[in-house]
Amino acid sequence: MAGVQALDDTASGAAATAPPRKWELIPAGHGNTGTAFWLMAPAIAVYGIFTLFPIAVTFWLSFTDSAGFNTPASFVGVENYRKAVQDPIVWQALWQTIIWLIYHVVLAGGLGLGLALAIARLKRSQVFFRTAFFLPHLVSLAVVGVIWANIYDPFFGLLNTGLTEIGLGNWTQGWLSDPALVLFSVNVASSWQGFGLYMLLFIAGLQDIDPALYDAAEVDGANSWQKLIHVTLPGLREVMTFVMSLAMINGLKGFATVFVMTNGGPFYQSELITTYIYRLAFQAQDHGLAAVLCILLSLFAITITIVFNRWRARMAR
Amino acid sequence: MSMRNREWPVALALVPVLVLVLAPFAWLLVSSLKSEAEIGRADPFEWPAELMWQNYLDAWQIGGFGELVGNSFFNVAGVVILMLVTCAPAGYALSKIRFPGREWMFYALIFGMTIPIQAIVIPLYQVLSGLGLVNSLAGIVLAQVSNGIPFGIFLMRSFFTNVPDELVEAARIDGASHFQILTKIFLPISTPAVMALVIISALSTWNDFFLPLIVLISPDVQTIPLGLVRFAGTYASEYRLVFSGTVISFLPIILLYILTQRRFTEGLTQGAIKG
Amino acid sequence: MNIITRAAAAAAFLAAGADVRAETLRMWGPEQITEPLIAELWNGIKADFEVKNPGVTVEFIPPTGTISNGAVQAALQSDVGPDVVLTNSGIGRITVVKNAKQIIPLTAYYDERAWKDKIYPWLFEELKGQYAGEIYEVPDGLDALGIWYHKDMFAENGWTIPATWKDFVTLMKAIQEKSIQPLAVGPRTPGSAGHLFGNLLQSASGTINVGKALRGELAWDDPALVVGAVRLRELVDAGFIKKEMAGLDLDGASRLWFNKRAAMFVAGPWFTANARKAGYDLNNAGYLPMPSDMAGEAKPTGGVGWSWLIPSNSKQPELALKWIDFMLSDEVMKKRAQHAASTMIYPRELKDIQPSTRVLKEIFAVAANGVGYNPSVYLPADVTDTYFQVIQGLVSGQISGEDGMKQIQGKMVAVR
Repeated sequence: MAGVQALDDTASGAAATAPPRKWELIPAGHGNTGTAFWLMAPAIAVYGIFTLFPIAVTFWLSFTDSAGFNTPASFVGVENYRKAVQDPIVWQALWQTIIWLIYHVVLAGGLGLGLALAIARLKRSQVFFRTAFFLPHLVSLAVVGVIWANIYDPFFGLLNTGLTEIGLGNWTQGWLSDPALVLFSVNVASSWQGFGLYMLLFIAGLQDIDPALYDAAEVDGANSWQKLIHVTLPGLREVMTFVMSLAMINGLKGFATVFVMTNGGPFYQSELITTYIYRLAFQAQDHGLAAVLCILLSLFAITITIVFNRWRARMAR
Repeated sequence: MSMRNREWPVALALVPVLVLVLAPFAWLLVSSLKSEAEIGRADPFEWPAELMWQNYLDAWQIGGFGELVGNSFFNVAGVVILMLVTCAPAGYALSKIRFPGREWMFYALIFGMTIPIQAIVIPLYQVLSGLGLVNSLAGIVLAQVSNGIPFGIFLMRSFFTNVPDELVEAARIDGASHFQILTKIFLPISTPAVMALVIISALSTWNDFFLPLIVLISPDVQTIPLGLVRFAGTYASEYRLVFSGTVISFLPIILLYILTQRRFTEGLTQGAIKG
Repeated sequence: MNIITRAAAAAAFLAAGADVRAETLRMWGPEQITEPLIAELWNGIKADFEVKNPGVTVEFIPPTGTISNGAVQAALQSDVGPDVVLTNSGIGRITVVKNAKQIIPLTAYYDERAWKDKIYPWLFEELKGQYAGEIYEVPDGLDALGIWYHKDMFAENGWTIPATWKDFVTLMKAIQEKSIQPLAVGPRTPGSAGHLFGNLLQSASGTINVGKALRGELAWDDPALVVGAVRLRELVDAGFIKKEMAGLDLDGASRLWFNKRAAMFVAGPWFTANARKAGYDLNNAGYLPMPSDMAGEAKPTGGVGWSWLIPSNSKQPELALKWIDFMLSDEVMKKRAQHAASTMIYPRELKDIQPSTRVLKEIFAVAANGVGYNPSVYLPADVTDTYFQVIQGLVSGQISGEDGMKQIQGKMVAVR
């Protein structure tokens, strides 16, 4: 949502600088609304039935004591909302979701940007590196979880045995057991899978910067650092916005790696809203409370979108 | 200037990073060639005494991968085609046709992007069940397409916004309908965006585990990720088959990516960024 | 032209089918049918059943999960689901599908088809007590969780599993001094966390108290019950159980044991399957219950591990009943109990059988003296999550035994 809105703003912003808006010149024939409807009809039909309707049902469920398939659900008012507010795990999961999101933006977004900066200058080996670094993104998150859980194994894993092997034995950690580390460790696995797409987007953005700007900076005697600050990063502003929004959405929806690697543990230390929703629904059969958390998550997403867009608008000024 | 002669130092500096990033793959490949007992010894630096290519054969045969791969291809093809059929026209309408409530329609259509599928899976299951779509590839295709529509529409709309309106105007004057403009003019020049949409939806469909787990019940309609689960029990798993099966499941998607990667990057650029 | 021949062929096929009254029984399970040993056993059972019931074909559906992850419910809800189900049970799980009206009560058949004579009397009583007299499952196998140890390692060092808790702690200290990890656990697999914890509760508080707590008659934070939790935390603090293990799953933890980096592991008869895969010599495996200071309470813990269920929308309910009859028959049960793929305790006493491994024989012998409760399978479904998280909290050293038990009690109260 965030990314979409951000992009939409840039799009209309660009259009606004070239007045009058071009689509207004299109003869507004009578059939247009109808045509538009028919063109959107397949999407609306599928999306309405399989996404919007279930969301509406979820909203209704949040006011009931539904316990899953075939069980009678009666209206309980805001009882589930009260339960959610009083459940300390909900707050912990919410907080950890925020941390998770930040980790993801920084780790996956950061690695993506760093590699893009390095790779975009390459001529002959660019395609090779671009393709090779993208490979992790092809792996399903569930499989990523299985692979990384093995890598993190405290006694046999690639990471701890590797560290011991190169003489860094005291760097070994209980990657998935240390309460202070577990969320970070799982996020590294998830970001390993996620950074490739962001990297490609950044590369694309870098290639889009007018080379004349670099030449001009060179004439002004700018060094590499100054060029990065004054030409490259400003030139990447739009793609940066897009990547950050995308990363935030992906972060918010983080589920599979946690689900496979820790299932929220140990003792809720890697619990995300999504994993808690899942366990509430399938293990505890508390679909009412799960539905409340679903709505909470949506509200959270919308809030982030608004805050992010305000911040971006202020930065642009 | 200095850009050109920086090629090799930068490339060399990237090699260790690449090794680190790809190390998990190396681990997976080596593990997939170990015997179950060797995996049990769990020494990540131990080379298999004998390369167990047999694992791949076993995973293929015991896991019934032939059927699974067929189903997965059908699943991906269905999703990709339906994504194009739904998202391209909608993206066109939302970018090139003026009608009241356009912005609202757009936001409503992309709202779903923030909803994790786990949150709506029970109602979704009931919808599928009501329509007789549980345990069918058609059902899983529709659910996945619906899940992908927000991003798909967003991508296509951004790309189409970039296409000069003069093209539409000229065609309208020539008497072309919007549908004709979309199919005869827009789609042919949108290969990059279409490629990006194809790859992204193919990738997420190929790897989807959660929806198939709930929707595909009989073995004869299941897809690859569910096949991998067959090797795992409550208390014991056959890891040599899990690992080799995982490698098998990568190959087609890696091939697809390598074959299309140039256009894919282009599509992402023009679709997502220049919007 | 082509279409006509195909239609004719289809008609002929249908006609032929009508003659033999071809019927298919679709069964959810067994797990890991992809393993050759298991496949051999079950394909044999299937073939025998098909011979006895001409025209019937049994079709296995390899499970994609259990009741805990929603896979079974999704399958049962669909109209193309199985006709009979074999899955991980326990009252918590069964309650989920029972409440959703996805399975039918089988109480009447316990009399009609004499099933009640085919399971242990105590087991029948226990099942009858769970839902006010109604029974929804037929137990297929029971679990018996106890301590697995390496015979050679213990012999070399002159170690034995002692009789009292104090001596048990001393033993663990001795093991630790040899740079061997005394006890391995993989609490990332919820079941595995519960195996160790159930043993500790049994050892410290005895079957009667644990049973009361499970029925809500005794508070979990009652001094009579917290000892087990406090002891777990003490073992962690002493380093007898490494905190890092909080990040391990059952496979990771069992690797420590199979590679002899750990001396003891709490598991059930199913562990023989893991051992076989890891290439561990099962003749070297010993099995004993966890020591207890209470007289007669050194018992393995367990409960119904796997059960048969009949879905409400089973298309072959009659065949499903026949199938369960067949599974309960002496012929099948003895065949399974003596097969190398056997990994559980059977729901009635089987005379004159030769288990495929010595350790299974030891387990059968120990279990014959009675089995305590494994709370994981008796707790209500909505409490189990808290229960498992608390165990992880104890193993990772985040909470005290008292606090952990208080949280479980809080959830018990909230649920009731």
